[in-house]
Amino acid sequence: MRSKGFAKHYYMMLAPGFIWLFFFSIVPMFGIIIAFQNFNPGQGILGSEFVGLETFRYMFELNDTMNVFFNTIYIAVMKIIGNLIIPLIFALMLNEVRYTIFKRSIQTIVYLPHFLSWVILGGVLLDIFAFQGPVNQLLGMFGINPILFFGTPELFPFLVAGSDVWKEFGFNTIIYLAALTGINPALYEAAGIDGASRWRMLWHVTLPGIRTTAVLLAVLSLGNVLNAGFDQIFNLYNPLVYSTGDIIDTWVYRAGLLNLQYELATAVGLLKSVAGFILISLSYYLAYKFTNYRIF
Amino acid sequence: MLRSKSLSSKLADVILITILILIAITCILPLWYTLSLSLSSKTAAAAGAVTLWPVDFNFDSYKQLLQDSQFFKSFWISIQRVLLGAGLNFIIVPLMAYPLSKTIKDFKGRNVFMWTLIFTMLFNGGLIPLYITIQNYDLMNSIWALVLVGGAQTIVFNIILTINFFRNLPKSLEEAALVDGAGPWYILFKLFIPLSIPVLATVSLFSIVYHWNEFLYGLIFMTREEFYPLQTYIQQLVVSVDPSTMTEDQYKRMSELSNRTLDAAKIFIAMIPVLLVYPFLQRYFIHGITLGSVKE
Amino acid sequence: MKWKGRLFSFVAFILFFMLVACSNDGTSSTDEGENKQVSSEPGDPFGKYEEPITIAIGQEVDPSDTSLQNGDTPLDNQYTRHVKEKLNIEVEHAFTASPSNYDQKVSLAIASNDLPDAMVVGPVELRQMVEADQIADLTEVYENYASPAIKEIIDSTDGVALDNVTFDGKIMAIPNSQAGADGVHNLWIRKDWLDNLGLEPPQTMEDLKEVARAFVEEDPDGNGQDDTIGLAGPDTSNKLYANFLESTNNLYGFDGIFSALHAYPGYWLEGDDGKPVYGSLLPETKEALSVLRDMYSEGLIDTEMGVREDSGESIISGNTGMFFGPFWMPYGPITDAVKNNPEANWQSYALPLDAEGEYTPHLSTTTTQYVVVRKDYEYPEAAMKILNNLLAHESEFDPSIGGPGYYPLRLVYAPADEMEVTTVALREVLAGTKEPSDFYDMPAYKLLKSDVDTIFDVKLEPYDNMDIEYWDLETSLGQWTRAYSALVGTSPLVDTEIKGVKSLIYSQTETMEDRWVNLKKLEDETFLKIIMGTAPLDTFEQFVEDWKKQGGESITEEVAEIVASN
Repeated sequence: MRSKGFAKHYYMMLAPGFIWLFFFSIVPMFGIIIAFQNFNPGQGILGSEFVGLETFRYMFELNDTMNVFFNTIYIAVMKIIGNLIIPLIFALMLNEVRYTIFKRSIQTIVYLPHFLSWVILGGVLLDIFAFQGPVNQLLGMFGINPILFFGTPELFPFLVAGSDVWKEFGFNTIIYLAALTGINPALYEAAGIDGASRWRMLWHVTLPGIRTTAVLLAVLSLGNVLNAGFDQIFNLYNPLVYSTGDIIDTWVYRAGLLNLQYELATAVGLLKSVAGFILISLSYYLAYKFTNYRIF
Repeated sequence: MLRSKSLSSKLADVILITILILIAITCILPLWYTLSLSLSSKTAAAAGAVTLWPVDFNFDSYKQLLQDSQFFKSFWISIQRVLLGAGLNFIIVPLMAYPLSKTIKDFKGRNVFMWTLIFTMLFNGGLIPLYITIQNYDLMNSIWALVLVGGAQTIVFNIILTINFFRNLPKSLEEAALVDGAGPWYILFKLFIPLSIPVLATVSLFSIVYHWNEFLYGLIFMTREEFYPLQTYIQQLVVSVDPSTMTEDQYKRMSELSNRTLDAAKIFIAMIPVLLVYPFLQRYFIHGITLGSVKE
Repeated sequence: MKWKGRLFSFVAFILFFMLVACSNDGTSSTDEGENKQVSSEPGDPFGKYEEPITIAIGQEVDPSDTSLQNGDTPLDNQYTRHVKEKLNIEVEHAFTASPSNYDQKVSLAIASNDLPDAMVVGPVELRQMVEADQIADLTEVYENYASPAIKEIIDSTDGVALDNVTFDGKIMAIPNSQAGADGVHNLWIRKDWLDNLGLEPPQTMEDLKEVARAFVEEDPDGNGQDDTIGLAGPDTSNKLYANFLESTNNLYGFDGIFSALHAYPGYWLEGDDGKPVYGSLLPETKEALSVLRDMYSEGLIDTEMGVREDSGESIISGNTGMFFGPFWMPYGPITDAVKNNPEANWQSYALPLDAEGEYTPHLSTTTTQYVVVRKDYEYPEAAMKILNNLLAHESEFDPSIGGPGYYPLRLVYAPADEMEVTTVALREVLAGTKEPSDFYDMPAYKLLKSDVDTIFDVKLEPYDNMDIEYWDLETSLGQWTRAYSALVGTSPLVDTEIKGVKSLIYSQTETMEDRWVNLKKLEDETFLKIIMGTAPLDTFEQFVEDWKKQGGESITEEVAEIVASN
């Protein structure tokens, strides 16, 4: 067709972006070499001695590594499930409301937390859930002893997942609401004529109508299984909850930048990237296979 | 029969609306609590006496805040960063998304470029190589380090969103333009971009929010507080210090210096810009996300 | 296609450029050596440079410290002006960072080999930099330029301070040295509670348990509520016990209990075979853990230990009866506790004793921080001079117009026996056997003069009774804190014969660099779980095995080598 000679132009369009990415994303990747070295900062990356897979061997010896990977997946999976289901329920509830202005206002308000940073929300949440904070005072009124929420390893993962779902549920309803408006109104009318109750309509018309969207979202979130949220946990955690709250990204940060374990930090980071790449490829494949949708 | 149905339906409506309002309230609670805290007296805040309403209402912390020149310096740095970052994002995203939205039939190299992008999104060499790279570019303490490094890591997601939006545009438009002899630049700028305002507004919003909220690179690439963007500035205020590493006089000073009301005032002010921006872009981003149909 | 080819050559060029740039960093530091000749003959520790020189340092700046006045900045204040005036050294900041981010900045500087001319680092960073050959040999600088006062203080540590910075016979950093008193963790008790219940300070471990039980069960504060804690436990930022790397200032730990049972976890000890052994692995430690485990399950220890953000809070609120902590606890929660309840009579004891009736605490290193100088920096002696200047003039600065933390490269210097000497001096002045002026001429003891001058402002008669009702907190709370820390907090160290135990080393070995953090974490978590009863006591054996397997064995060998070479 006519667009045959366009490739040259396409390259020109891509050039600025790729030059940018080259300098600021690809060049820094030379650091991956560190994972295979006994890195000596005085000698730099070129001068340091290669040790092959030594660091990886050590990595698998550590109890920490397994623990950190487990924590990451545990928290991330909770978040994924919460972020799929809660917005769906909320969207369904919102969909039942017929007062447009009310609906709009509620929507605007619930989007709010999505736009605030974890630096800020972290500070506020720690305050609200502090030992003497409002939440504990409220519990105190019911005779419950104060709890150090963000200092209890058993609670921490749930608080992290919960606060993330709370932050994002509003924003995540957007896609569901769009899918809901896409349902043919004739289906509801038909069901109404058959005398179906609100619940039956929900079950037989609404849910099937957004099933594809829900499945697609579930598949896409597969890529996030190793992303438990650095910003959030970095701003919420403390040494007491390392056992359950330390995730790959925070662990790598501390190992590399505070404990000077450069090789180990790089190796664990690399392992995460590889696993993440596999997961994204998998979700690309699954999405294409089941919903005939190409992510990118 | 009919009457009881509508009655129970009304009751359901009331319950539904009440729940929705309660949920919405939790979303503004942090904002409200921070405001109350910032308007309370220092002693009340330190004693944990503030819950929902300011205690000993006063504007002292805001008066104090006005004298903190660093806060405003950082605020200004963040504004610049957002303008540069979102501006660059706005230019590069459609330029890259357009060729990549072509099928492999129209653009042979498409998949190679696409997977390269995915690769840059997932892999990185860690913070230390990144730091060394920025140092070699002589960009330490430069706002461009924040704009370019942060931007490079978020742009791929924005490109994917825009690719999907472009793909959903009616094919006939482009074909008609091709028949009229239009080239790719013309199609992109005169046809696609004007039709893509929702998605471009959406990715701009994402970019604005990202650059406003990101704190870690400020911490890494800036060697002095005077260069910190706002979130970095706030982060170092709210993070606590490990007392076991403190000397005796530091320990003593710390207890005298904690100033939660002033911190709350800073946090509150830092929330405002985002609050001012997103409600106005709401119409666009709902549309943009729906048609881009990819969830973060 | 042509375009593609060009892109590739461009990319190749950039990559080449990058590698050259990186390798340059690596090699440029080898061709120095001539510079150092300058300082080979004895110099003047306080000598002023004829031409102004600059030194770019890493500086910790606390964002919540608002003490700077009159438009002063972290870079331009009474301290930096003083250094400029006395030494003609211009201070510049290579970087500044808040206390919580300072380590991160140091780490980035080390990793990228882009070091400030001089900075303050901890033992981990020091070893890393020596290993990477990044820092200057300061042997001659120390010998020729360290002021007599600093040498005197460093010598008072019996060579420990210098051992910490000596690698292959070279002094690679300037060590600090603080009072040794904060390495001993006394038992602090609410004496008014003891009196209420008619009890004596616990001499043995059995006594300690009895007192704790009485404090928990017999309502010692007489408020009719079951709200008291026998013995406080560590909070989230403190440790179960101080260890060889952080051997001081562990608040609310169980140091006293471990020591009384002759268990020294976290310390390197000489084993029965004469070889070094890590204290945490020994049966004594297991025994002590089982004692603590029982105490915890009986409710004698704070059930919220390890969870609290600050165990000091329950001391202030008057719920806690006993805790372990260093002499300076009046600088911590005790001041507030007494303000809260003027009858809270916190007294300090060198207890509990071991089975033979002796006091056997672990002792600390007095060196925790180091000043290092970049390898090819032209004036390595400048850092030494700045420190000489600090010690000589520290008392002349006014902290209310800029906190001491703004002094460039500040290290804490105090004679190892500073607190003990102060305590004895105060007693003699109170008893009237000496005049305050007898202590005026002791410059290394920086605060002694003001201590003896003001003691009568805060101590009420009878001068030999230290109970809280015989103190005046109104006149000067600051002086009271200091005097109470000396006369109550330090007294046990003066009055008791201390059969202390030292660690064989107080710094890291090579393998520790990579593995210690993770071993330490394994240890902390296992022991905490054992004490709190969430893991069986026999997890201890598994821990010993894991510890050895995950690098502990080779670390032990390294320690043996170091000990043998000393």
